[in-house]
Amino acid sequence: MDNSAFIDGFDTAIDNALFWLGDHAGFLFDGARALLEGLYDAILWLVLLPPFYVIAALAGVIGWRALNLWFGISSAAALAFCAAMGLWSDTMETLALVIAAVVIALAISLPVGTLAGLMPRLDRALTPVLDLIQTMPPYIYLLPSIALLGFGPATALVATVIVAVPPAIRLTALGIRMTPQEFIELGQALGLSRSQMFFKIRLPFAVPSIMAGINQSLMMAFGMVVIAGIVGSGGLGATIYGAIRTLDIATSINASIAIVILTMILDRVTQSAGQGAARAGKERT
Amino acid sequence: MENGEVLIDCQSVWKVFGTRSAEAIRAITERGLGKTEVLQQFGCVVGVSDATLKVHRGEIFCIMGLSGSGKSTLIRQLNRLIEPSLGKVLVKGRDLAQMDAATLRETRARHIGMVFQSVALLPQRNVLENAAFGLEVQGVGRDERNQAARAALAKVGLSDWLDRYPSELSGGMQQRVGLARALTSDPEIILMDEPFSALDPLIRRQLQDEFRQLTKDLGKSAVFITHDLDEAIRIGDRIAIMKDGVIIQVGTAEDIVMNPADQYVADFVAGISRLHLVKAHSVMIPVADFRALDPATDPASLPQCDGQADIDALIGKITETGSDAVAVTEDGAIAGVVTTRNLLLSVRGDGAPAAH
Repeated sequence: MDNSAFIDGFDTAIDNALFWLGDHAGFLFDGARALLEGLYDAILWLVLLPPFYVIAALAGVIGWRALNLWFGISSAAALAFCAAMGLWSDTMETLALVIAAVVIALAISLPVGTLAGLMPRLDRALTPVLDLIQTMPPYIYLLPSIALLGFGPATALVATVIVAVPPAIRLTALGIRMTPQEFIELGQALGLSRSQMFFKIRLPFAVPSIMAGINQSLMMAFGMVVIAGIVGSGGLGATIYGAIRTLDIATSINASIAIVILTMILDRVTQSAGQGAARAGKERT
Repeated sequence: MENGEVLIDCQSVWKVFGTRSAEAIRAITERGLGKTEVLQQFGCVVGVSDATLKVHRGEIFCIMGLSGSGKSTLIRQLNRLIEPSLGKVLVKGRDLAQMDAATLRETRARHIGMVFQSVALLPQRNVLENAAFGLEVQGVGRDERNQAARAALAKVGLSDWLDRYPSELSGGMQQRVGLARALTSDPEIILMDEPFSALDPLIRRQLQDEFRQLTKDLGKSAVFITHDLDEAIRIGDRIAIMKDGVIIQVGTAEDIVMNPADQYVADFVAGISRLHLVKAHSVMIPVADFRALDPATDPASLPQCDGQADIDALIGKITETGSDAVAVTEDGAIAGVVTTRNLLLSVRGDGAPAAH
């Protein structure tokens, strides 16, 4: 049986739908693109404003406060090394992209995760959607966005946000749901209102889990911004993608090292913030 | 105590757990099913079955039962943490079930304090903030609530620990903070859900005595859950014994020890020391019986004691005076006689003349 006609028809329908969206809702996507790129540009402007050694020193201080002096010095030195490799602006572009994506992802996933934690039915409805998002190869998310938003950082941002959202939703919901029963009972017995129960009982106990969600979200975002080099994200992803196409192995390795440095610094710092919150909770129980 | 104002009036309260609990309740009301039938026919577990009790102002009411007896379910129905399936709970004359959410919150916040076995101190807050938590959520200003919390913590002897965190405190101290938190809101009634069960025996006895003293000094009423009969006797003005969701017996410690309602209660009280529990008036024999036993002795010549004297005091009297019997006086007249034999029997646990 020949079903190529059916497949052609299906493809045409999708193309037409995308054209239709482009024609009729183009202003929406243009607006979205402007908004996303505005956010990205603002963050990028901010991190490129001071010379590289100021940012490196700042990272050093944060690393020192969050973990220890040794980690702080290593972080500062590693970032200075990125600059020495001539990859400073690329590194900062990637950082800006990750920060922008995670900020948007958290703006979505913290409220949604909280609601899912409070409403088991919403949680049950969301779970298969999140499963689907996490099962699909991340490349897929570049396609609809490139069709509607075009080549550039906006598309990279959308795709990155999509993969960064699920872990933060899951861990936020888990944290809110897992409030120890005795404290719920305490709240009821003391006559707490619903909002007091949330802010004074549920949220403090959920903080460690939420911090773990933010950390996971960040890690997913780092994975995606490299892939998003293909759609013109700029930064280290684009450098690696370009180097691969020209078989410039040395440059691609330089860029990879820069990504590893950036990832490790942000991972360790957010992880220690989460553990700090967990310790504050556990040690005192 | 019996005559005081009734603060908690729990009328024929049931709690049925299970998916078919609604049908089970209908069967209980319409056909008078018991808990065994309910389990067989509907697969529902009856947590509390037809519990009726009254707690009066100034009284400490203990509910004693082993795990699974429904005592924790019952106490949670007294502030509607658990909704009764059937029956009514009146707190200060008002039906809890009829209250809207705001009134219920208000009642819980101001009139009924609760202390938990798990203590449930908020780990992120220090001792003072934990003790002030009840007032904080009522919207009381910081200075005022901290002052009340300091006063409550002083009552439980923790004035030097205000800035510490719960993890820095021993189990006994944590439970004191739990008690202080309940006292800070100055409720009339305190519900105590096995508060001392997780503590070691010495600390437990100390806290029991302190709790009783404090409750009496402050004029509070309390419902106290425990699985330990000794604890119930030490603390309670009256004791209810629960088994399988049913209250088998309610009475003073002496009532329960002297006249157990059934074999279960009798087995329970068998090991209890009667020295301070049993009073002269419940072990004495009538004067006529004494004359029949010992015609040579004139009851008026015996050493005398009050009807409220406990066995320990009677033994003291007999050993001091060398007499074989003590006359029990009530309102200046000799109401009966306690012989050495009566005393020995009552110490062993079957000394009540009625039991002969």
